Amino acid sequence: RLKLGTLAPKGTSYYNSLKAMGDQWRVDSGGAVNLSIFAGGAQGGEADMVGMMKLDSMQAAMLTAVGLSEIEAGVSGLQNIPMGFRTLEEVDFVNERMRPLLEERLAAKGFIVLFWTNGGWVRFFSNQLVNRPDDLRKLKVFSWSGFPEQVAIYKSAGFNPIAIETADIVPSLQTKLIDAAPLPPFFAMAAQVDTRAPYMLDVNWAPLVGALVVRKDTWEKIPVEVRTKLVVAAAIAGNEIKSTARREMNDSVSAMEKRGLKVTKPSDEVLQEWRQVCESTYPRIRGQVVPADIYDQTMKLLTEYRAAPAK
Amino acid sequence: MSAPASLNSASAAARPRWVRIFCGCEDLVVVAILAVMMVLPVIEILLRKFFNGGVPASATIVQHLVLAVGMLGGAIAARENRLLALSAAAQWFKGGALTASRVVGFGFAAAVSALLCTSSWEFVLSQRSLGKVFAYGLPLWIVQLLLVAGFGLVALRLVWTVAPQWRWRAATFILAAGMIVLALMGPFSPEQLRWPAMIVLCVAVALGAPVFTALGGAAMILLWTAGEPVTPVLLKHYSLTVNPTLPSIPLFTLAGYFLAESGAARRLVRLFQALFGGMRGGPAIVTTLVCAFFTSFTGASGATILALGGVLMPVLMTANYSERNSIGLLTGAGSLGMLFPPCLPPILYAIIASSGNVVSVSIEQMFLGGLLPGLLLVGLTAWWGVSKGPRAGQDGRQPFERHEAWAATKAAKWELLVPVIALTALFSGFATPVEAAALTAFYTFLVSVIIHRDLHLIRDVPRVISECGLLVGGVMLILGVALGFTHYLVDAQIPDQAVEWTTGAIHSKWLFLLGLNLVLLVVGGLVEIYAAIVVVVPLLVPLGVAYGINPVHLGIIFLANMELGFLAPPVGLNLLLASYRFNKPMSEVTKASLPMLGVMVVGVLLITYVPWLTTWLPSLFH
Ligand code: NA
Ligand code: NA
Repeated sequence: RLKLGTLAPKGTSYYNSLKAMGDQWRVDSGGAVNLSIFAGGAQGGEADMVGMMKLDSMQAAMLTAVGLSEIEAGVSGLQNIPMGFRTLEEVDFVNERMRPLLEERLAAKGFIVLFWTNGGWVRFFSNQLVNRPDDLRKLKVFSWSGFPEQVAIYKSAGFNPIAIETADIVPSLQTKLIDAAPLPPFFAMAAQVDTRAPYMLDVNWAPLVGALVVRKDTWEKIPVEVRTKLVVAAAIAGNEIKSTARREMNDSVSAMEKRGLKVTKPSDEVLQEWRQVCESTYPRIRGQVVPADIYDQTMKLLTEYRAAPAK
Repeated sequence: MSAPASLNSASAAARPRWVRIFCGCEDLVVVAILAVMMVLPVIEILLRKFFNGGVPASATIVQHLVLAVGMLGGAIAARENRLLALSAAAQWFKGGALTASRVVGFGFAAAVSALLCTSSWEFVLSQRSLGKVFAYGLPLWIVQLLLVAGFGLVALRLVWTVAPQWRWRAATFILAAGMIVLALMGPFSPEQLRWPAMIVLCVAVALGAPVFTALGGAAMILLWTAGEPVTPVLLKHYSLTVNPTLPSIPLFTLAGYFLAESGAARRLVRLFQALFGGMRGGPAIVTTLVCAFFTSFTGASGATILALGGVLMPVLMTANYSERNSIGLLTGAGSLGMLFPPCLPPILYAIIASSGNVVSVSIEQMFLGGLLPGLLLVGLTAWWGVSKGPRAGQDGRQPFERHEAWAATKAAKWELLVPVIALTALFSGFATPVEAAALTAFYTFLVSVIIHRDLHLIRDVPRVISECGLLVGGVMLILGVALGFTHYLVDAQIPDQAVEWTTGAIHSKWLFLLGLNLVLLVVGGLVEIYAAIVVVVPLLVPLGVAYGINPVHLGIIFLANMELGFLAPPVGLNLLLASYRFNKPMSEVTKASLPMLGVMVVGVLLITYVPWLTTWLPSLFH
């Protein structure tokens, strides 16, 4: 029996993709690999899931960058460079090239990656119109209290970060302790953030990265010829989840627009302004938030990608 | 509670000098930790407000201070022989038989604590390999060692406190060690030991083993005999105690302790008497309203009983309510108000229920939906309280006097500001819930120590804070291992099986609702409410859709049942906390609150079968 945890609730398309993968695994392994899915965070948040995998109480989990960073801080390179990536193609490109390094580090901590996903972008939701960086500077911005370095960096860029817990985001938007928070649109819709913060800045702030990981010990107990089949089934599920996630991001934005969300699309000139602000923080992000080698590699790959002729 | 009070003082006086010094240091550490927990968030508010700054990682630090208070407070509770037990051997036995029965109960408890200690060590090692940093470069696993130290101390002290004679301590130690050796190295397979071990557990609990060892023991036995690792029990214990919203529980409790130990009770009694003393059942009405009001911002943590129990008990007693009815009313009223804003459970329900993308529930809908059901429960409770009031002429009714009312209000004005401070901090965008709780605690500290000078900074304050630490520790032990028990249930997929079975067996919506009430009553009694919301709601929502129940209505039914669960024997949280607060055995508190339980059942049934109560208000605003 192989237990897999995910925050995605039962009945969602993510869950169904994983379920289909589990059914295929059962067939491929002749019934030896029997996947039970603990959906909807039934076994706790992502830190709990990582802890449980370490204790062999859970053998696999579909994690976002939050959970992956619990295992290996290097993964944060994909998620914690504000406006580092411009398009999802760039994310794909860098993710693909960084895989060997990241997977090697995760393996050193005892985890095997079966697939990576990136499901769209984190966007800024605010209770007042935000177009230029100066608009955001007037607001109180959420910053995770577990990450003091990030708070300092926000401040150095002239913003007004409020260090609170992620669990306090929604109530704090309500009480106006914070005015703005970068959030995945899918979460914003589910938590009805748009009723409190009805403005969304249409800037690709940071990509949402995730991966399916399995305990190395468990994985290596499975015969090699079976493993290759399981990897194929996992890749299919991974692609499904990726395309669903991207579609759902757009769907949640349009659903929220229908109930009153105002999306602000900055002009190229304003976008350039945002980029300048973000880039001014990069020297501090390198090393303090994202491990320096990961940061350098990511930037090198991005330069490489942008220099290459358009495909 | 498990031991007669005389035993505590006897053992305390007989302690050797070095033990006394060690105990004194332990108390001081707990006092220091709680003081930092109270002050740090207040500093954070000030720095943010006036200097646009903050203490780096202060939230993380405060969360881990809860872990520290929980484990050290638990160790102190064990030292003082005040770990909460479901029953007391002292009720049935005397002399040698009593000691022998304590050896069995404590021996089992020591064995469970020792296993929790060694499992903590395994958990800490596994976390160490992740290499996480706590704050300021300190590795997280060092902080997590508190689990090992706490459970280790508790295990040793269970052996120590069994009796003053060394031979009984030795017997307890040998019994505990024997149980562990037999289980781990004996000739039996784990599966064969499942039911024998559970029977031993039941016997030990009946003989006075503390509640946390019953829950933790059951979780470990069930996991181990199912071939699963037991270490996640400790992981869950850890993750509950460092939960971001959890620090508000010890902080509101601390605020309550300052109030209760100061002259606040006296001043409030005077005020209530002046305002409502002329009314029939006035004290009961006041008790109910104050509890509901308080709970709506302490967030169904049970903090209400801890904080207000000491204040309201004298109010009722002064008005000649019987002690039994007073305890019943306070235990029952202690969870009222859970449906009113800004209480956290309805917010959490809205978030969890909507996250499945199956239904969409907003926070406002939940609060609008909960208003009438909440008022109904408040009304029923007040009605019961009034009906239990002393007969006319014996309740010391005095006619209303404007002069006295004004004087009493002035005298109690600082206390009356407590809820104002808390609610303003919460709603003005001034503070997070934890910061609001810290500010409230700090304010009550100022009122009782500086303004009224009821408590002396050196003589009284450390005593009051360490008493609060002891209580928080005892409660944390229970909540933490309860989440470990939930882990077993989820791991064994028992909730999933229940869903499958339900949809197969029950076809009527009304029958389903009745079954739901019964199941939720049990869940509410056993499981910590936030864990229950997180675990049960995702399973409940699809069922609700299948039976055509409005998701807001489903949520209010769920929460009302949870509210009821606080009173459900044998381990409803309010029963535990009331037993602590009023220093009465669980059995007595349970008996006293049974009528209240009945009244609340009527309320919950009305809420369940009259959907209009819930759906009417939200529909007006649609
Ligand atoms: Na909690
Ligand atoms: Na609670």
